[in-house]
Amino acid sequence: MVDSYRPKDLKEALSIRAEHGAMPLAGGTDLMVRYQSWTGTLPLFKNSIMFIGHLKEMKYIKKEAKDKTSTLVIGGTATLTSVANHPETPVVLKEAVLSIAAPALRNNATLTGNICNASPAGDSICALYALDAVIVIEKTGSRREVPITEFITGPGRTVLAESELVTAIKVPLKASSVNNFTKVGTRKANALSKLSFTGVADYKNGRVDSIALTFGAVGPTVVRSVELEKKLKGLSGSEIETKISAILEDYSTVIVPIDDQRSSAVYRKKVALNLLEKYLRELSRHE
Amino acid sequence: MGAKISIPVRRIDAKEKAGGWAKYIGDYEFDNLQHGRFLRSERARAKIIEIKKPVFPEGYYYVDASDIPSSGKNNIQMIKDDWRVFAVDEVRYIGETIAIILGPDKQKVLDLLNEIEIIYEDLIPAFTFDDALACKGGAVHGTDNIFAEYLLNVGNTDNAFKNADKIIEGKYETGFQEHLYMETQGLVGTWEDGKITMYASAQCPFYIRKSVAGTLGVPLGDIRVRQVTTGGAFGGKEHFPDVIATPLAVAVNKIKKPISMIYDRIEDISFTCKRHPSKITIKTGLDKDNNIIAMEIDTLVNGGAYESSTPIVLQRAILHGLGVYNIPNARILGRAVATNTFPSDAYRGFGAPQGLFAIEMHMSHIADELGLDTSDFKRKHFIKTNDITITNSKMHDDVKLEEMFAKIDEMSDYSSKVKKYANDPVKGIGIAFVNHGGGFTGNGEQVVIQGVVKMKRLDDGKAGLYVSVVEMGQGLQTTMRKIAAGELGLSIEDVVYDNPDTDIVPDSGPTCASRSIMVVGFLVQECAKKLKAKWEEGVGTEATHQYVHPEEFVWEQETLQGDAYPAYGWGINVVEVEYDPVTFEVKTEGVWAVWDVGVAIDETIMQGQSSGGIIQALGYASIEKCELKNGAFMQHTMADYTIPTSLDFPKVETVFIDNPYKYGPSGAKGAGELVFDAAPPAYAEAVQNAIGKRIYDIPVTPEMIMEALNK
Repeated sequence: MVDSYRPKDLKEALSIRAEHGAMPLAGGTDLMVRYQSWTGTLPLFKNSIMFIGHLKEMKYIKKEAKDKTSTLVIGGTATLTSVANHPETPVVLKEAVLSIAAPALRNNATLTGNICNASPAGDSICALYALDAVIVIEKTGSRREVPITEFITGPGRTVLAESELVTAIKVPLKASSVNNFTKVGTRKANALSKLSFTGVADYKNGRVDSIALTFGAVGPTVVRSVELEKKLKGLSGSEIETKISAILEDYSTVIVPIDDQRSSAVYRKKVALNLLEKYLRELSRHE
Repeated sequence: MGAKISIPVRRIDAKEKAGGWAKYIGDYEFDNLQHGRFLRSERARAKIIEIKKPVFPEGYYYVDASDIPSSGKNNIQMIKDDWRVFAVDEVRYIGETIAIILGPDKQKVLDLLNEIEIIYEDLIPAFTFDDALACKGGAVHGTDNIFAEYLLNVGNTDNAFKNADKIIEGKYETGFQEHLYMETQGLVGTWEDGKITMYASAQCPFYIRKSVAGTLGVPLGDIRVRQVTTGGAFGGKEHFPDVIATPLAVAVNKIKKPISMIYDRIEDISFTCKRHPSKITIKTGLDKDNNIIAMEIDTLVNGGAYESSTPIVLQRAILHGLGVYNIPNARILGRAVATNTFPSDAYRGFGAPQGLFAIEMHMSHIADELGLDTSDFKRKHFIKTNDITITNSKMHDDVKLEEMFAKIDEMSDYSSKVKKYANDPVKGIGIAFVNHGGGFTGNGEQVVIQGVVKMKRLDDGKAGLYVSVVEMGQGLQTTMRKIAAGELGLSIEDVVYDNPDTDIVPDSGPTCASRSIMVVGFLVQECAKKLKAKWEEGVGTEATHQYVHPEEFVWEQETLQGDAYPAYGWGINVVEVEYDPVTFEVKTEGVWAVWDVGVAIDETIMQGQSSGGIIQALGYASIEKCELKNGAFMQHTMADYTIPTSLDFPKVETVFIDNPYKYGPSGAKGAGELVFDAAPPAYAEAVQNAIGKRIYDIPVTPEMIMEALNK
């Protein structure tokens, strides 16, 4: 028997999670599709469901400043539309969110849902990996924070325990002068990704001070190599330019996509590297 | 565009459809409605060893071939009757109907369906043209897997090739295409007054009546079919509703209760007919002045597991095989093969888009090979009035392609852009010229259809219009009324034209083949004249009119010789693109169209046909990838089978030229399919010019562009 719950607040939501492990459903834009059945019958949910989309305590986006760093905290039920519209949302995240589906869906879907769905083709995930997002997880009486790279463990798999709930996503707001998010979809709107790319980087004194390069839908999870990024740190623009082919060669070993109904492995790899090359050229011109 | 009838009116169904209160099949309520769902083959080719069924609770039924009455047959009476109502002993494609599970509660029906286990013994399936021609796993059909084979011949092709200065060859392929009508397939079968009535989202109510009566072995009059407001069809609801209606009728006949069979979207994409994939090889001989003197075409279409309308689709593909060109010596071989894929069937264009894609790309490739301008080369070979056709008759149409070319050149700036983009690394422009025969091929209207229409004077100065062709989004409710009202001097609101009911309307034939306006519309116009002449006889006065074949069009069906079509619609499309060398994605910058559809019955409705047909065709040419994996369609959701959105292509700029046809209502010719034909080759040529590599196949995906550039 599948039950459904509608908690009145976060506290009750956490206790329902603890007691029944009911699956949280915020916008429902992934879950209602995944568990759809014959029109006119109930969705084929395997577990009990807890509706959380209405919980106001998590429907916020705020900027927190502490010492010299500031963070954008996106509440667990904040919609994609609200993320896209917030003035402090980093440009790559904004573009990633706006590349998802269409306005009607974005009005209902939540950023947290996109992450918990943990699709390798999840567009916001590609950007959040590059932005070093941290996932805030709560259960009754405790709270932990997990980097997104550790939160997602495989296609559709996360570290979220049955008693826990993602209550917020923290996005560090760092200086970033060269930003790019590109989604290559199956068409120009309302499309799923064949692949996606995010690049964020900043220079200090003519040298790359920070850089993150991520690739979506080219592996079981978003691909990001901190080791390869380290090799780029401290380089000047002109040094980057001379190393482009070596960098591409490095990345061609970590980008190992597959063939599926949306695209081919060969295309995904080639275009991922092309997007990286385009980004690196732009980066090299910026210093 | 000067005809009075072309002046647009507000569509009669605009309000109810935009307002959301139009009732589609799923919106009707029936007392005691039962819900049916198909038990389908999960294997492409296998013997059924055993079907293990759970115990069915009271009120739930398993209906299969054993429920067909002894008077009936386990065959669907379509053009051929080889398609079985229910698979027995063996299955031939994934999705083939084995049984209907039905009952009052949908969830219970699903549960029962999930408990059924079928034990198969797999056989070796054939999926590709090569598989089919090699009879892999043994013939699926007959002894050679050939559903139909035709040979067309004009002039002396062998001799002409001997005299050729050069010979150029090319091989062209097109894929499956899903209709993706907004409303999925759906019928409700009821038992009313001792009679089966089918409420259907469909194009051809009389086809359903014929197939259901045939399956049950009852007189045609014992079956009633009522078309309900239909949310798009594009050929997908021409024959395919028969595949649902016949097993449904067996079930209704068994339990004598109303049963609904309405497809979900994934079910609809996975388990309905698609456009026939094609593989066409063309060899052309040219003289030293670069005139085409000979052409040989080998056309293959994949009909899938059952024949259905495949031979007629193949006929249209080869009858349009030479496109708009005058080729004095030509031979076209056409073969339709059987495979273990879902049976292919009607889709807007009915074979012509495949044939026209091949010839247009081939002409473009010849021009490229010879270093000539495509449009110059094509224009030099335009067929003209009285030139000999591939079926050894004369082109009767007043061919206005030159006038149309001048128009589109002016609209799109084509000629100067061709020069400008010749050395542009990312931009390209393409052009395609097409024609499309209106109405049934040859003498089909005379021999097969013999369409009849009826009109009647009603109360309050209104007139009733009784025809079997249907509104399916193309605007027929409005255009037919315009034709009738125009003759009778009434307002269109005073013409009553209800959705056809086979117990009420005469059989004016199916809604297909670009015939509704050109052929049936003309019958309506003639009938309205008759009614007007006796209008004063009072309320209840009726007039009927039956199709009369114009004597000047002669056809021999056995040999496919004579006038293949009484009149053609003509068209030119120009498409301009820019490709992204990083992602290989293509952005379409402009689309232009000039059409000769005789006379447009309504300018706005025809603009809609032009935009809709072209965008649907551009989807076919670019993003609508539909691949098989072990006999199942891989792209079976709307997320993966992508059709264009309004962001994918720009607004289509369309112009119509007048060229009235003597036997069309107010001069109108067929238009609904023509508008699909030109965009695929125009798009492919534009991409080809942008990337500097030849394109032979559609859809031209970014993946394909990448591969072409790597070659």
